[in-house]
Amino acid sequence: MNNKKSHHVLRLLLVFVSMNVIWYIAYVLINHSILPSPLAVYSSMGHLEGKKVWLDVCYSLFRIFAGVLLALTIGMSIGLLMGRSRIWNKLLDPVVYLTYPIPKIALLPVVMLFFGLGETSKILMIMLIVLFQVIISVRDGVKAIPDSTYDVLTSIGASALQKFWHVTLPGALSVILSTIRISLGTAISILFFTEIYGTEHGMGFFIMDAWLRMDYTEMYAGIMLFSLVGFVLFLLVDYLDYRFMKWRN
Amino acid sequence: MSPSRNSGLHIKELSVTYKDGQLALGRVNLSVPEHSIYTILGPSGSGKSTLLRTIAGLIKEYQGEILFDGISVHTQEPLIGLVPQSYGLLPWKTVHANINMAMKISHPYRNQRQSQEQQIQHWLAAMGIADLAKRYPLSLSGGQQQRVAIARAFALEPTIMLLDEPFSALDAVTRETIQRLFLENWIAHPATTLFVTHDVEEAILLGEKIIVMPSNKENHQVLIDNDHVFRIKHEDKRDSDDFFQQTKRIRKVIQEQW
Repeated sequence: MNNKKSHHVLRLLLVFVSMNVIWYIAYVLINHSILPSPLAVYSSMGHLEGKKVWLDVCYSLFRIFAGVLLALTIGMSIGLLMGRSRIWNKLLDPVVYLTYPIPKIALLPVVMLFFGLGETSKILMIMLIVLFQVIISVRDGVKAIPDSTYDVLTSIGASALQKFWHVTLPGALSVILSTIRISLGTAISILFFTEIYGTEHGMGFFIMDAWLRMDYTEMYAGIMLFSLVGFVLFLLVDYLDYRFMKWRN
Repeated sequence: MSPSRNSGLHIKELSVTYKDGQLALGRVNLSVPEHSIYTILGPSGSGKSTLLRTIAGLIKEYQGEILFDGISVHTQEPLIGLVPQSYGLLPWKTVHANINMAMKISHPYRNQRQSQEQQIQHWLAAMGIADLAKRYPLSLSGGQQQRVAIARAFALEPTIMLLDEPFSALDAVTRETIQRLFLENWIAHPATTLFVTHDVEEAILLGEKIIVMPSNKENHQVLIDNDHVFRIKHEDKRDSDDFFQQTKRIRKVIQEQW
């Protein structure tokens, strides 16, 4: 098991080094200030103003967490309801079917008009984009649980809440974790757009600010930092997967 | 104290019809005295599983009556120990957690954690799976999963035990071992039991009486007394002349009914 893990880490490191080598070759070939060398970027990361960068990361993390949490809470409730109840599924399915294809990013000006330029519109945008993925995958995950899984609990008189807690939720957890993983990627992308306006904090702002100042080294340092935040979030989901999905191995 | 006429499980004119009007279970009349074990033999589609599912409360719409000790099972809800064909274990819970959860749900007012733990350990040991307590069902063989399902059913101390072809997916050797384990434990803790099987030998080995379900659901089921074979020591049962004669007799009934 430990051998398998160390192989995995080794592979990740190998990919990371390869990417940096490709980057360095591109830097040598292009030989222009728009693409600094990886060493210059890493060195610039070390010289970033610690407190300010930390504040930017915290702002971004807060927006991601709030948006994803809101989407998960609402999406899981609706998805579970649709997965377990034929009536609710019939009622809500056309709503989801009609609203899912709307490009949510196009709603950004609408959300800004209604909720202003502050935190609410940023969090709402992340929530709106992630919500539909959550609803659909949780609904399908719940539907995939065979009815017979509930039989023993029903026969001993388990309540609806007990069935939900012991069967529905853990049965759909695998899908929920996969959805969180995909949602995080989407949320990070959306976050960048939402942090371009109406804020002086956040990783998106940091990158765009460096770009406007034509400080490309700092801009790349921001992109690397942003990627690192995303990577840490992915590791967190991997940990949750390891912690709660032991039974699959 | 002799049991009253009403004690045990009584099924009167029970029938189940699907939504499309097709008959899933014909008119079943059956009385299983308390602490008795009856095996149910029947061809596929004869309604064996439907009968068990209806008694277990999994099928709510039916005609007729299901009584336990004279009271409808839907009024008093006797504790059911169900062992489905697919074992019914939750894959995301360990063996221990599967049994523990079922015990907590079925005995919500019992607040003796230590005695519950002892009970789980006792039944795991009785089914020969004490070392599997921390394992997850997907890492177990079919035979091991079946032992867990039976251990769980016994640990619930059920009033009625319902087993739906529990050993059908097991190989012959594992099946014989689990049949013996099940019977030994049932004799020590005899719940009122219905055991569905499509295997004639299994029906004779495990049942005090054998119910043969007809393939035509309009016909009545046949009740065959098997007490004299049931009382033979388990190790000697298969080789006994009574067992052989009973097998012949039941095969004849099956030929007429199926």
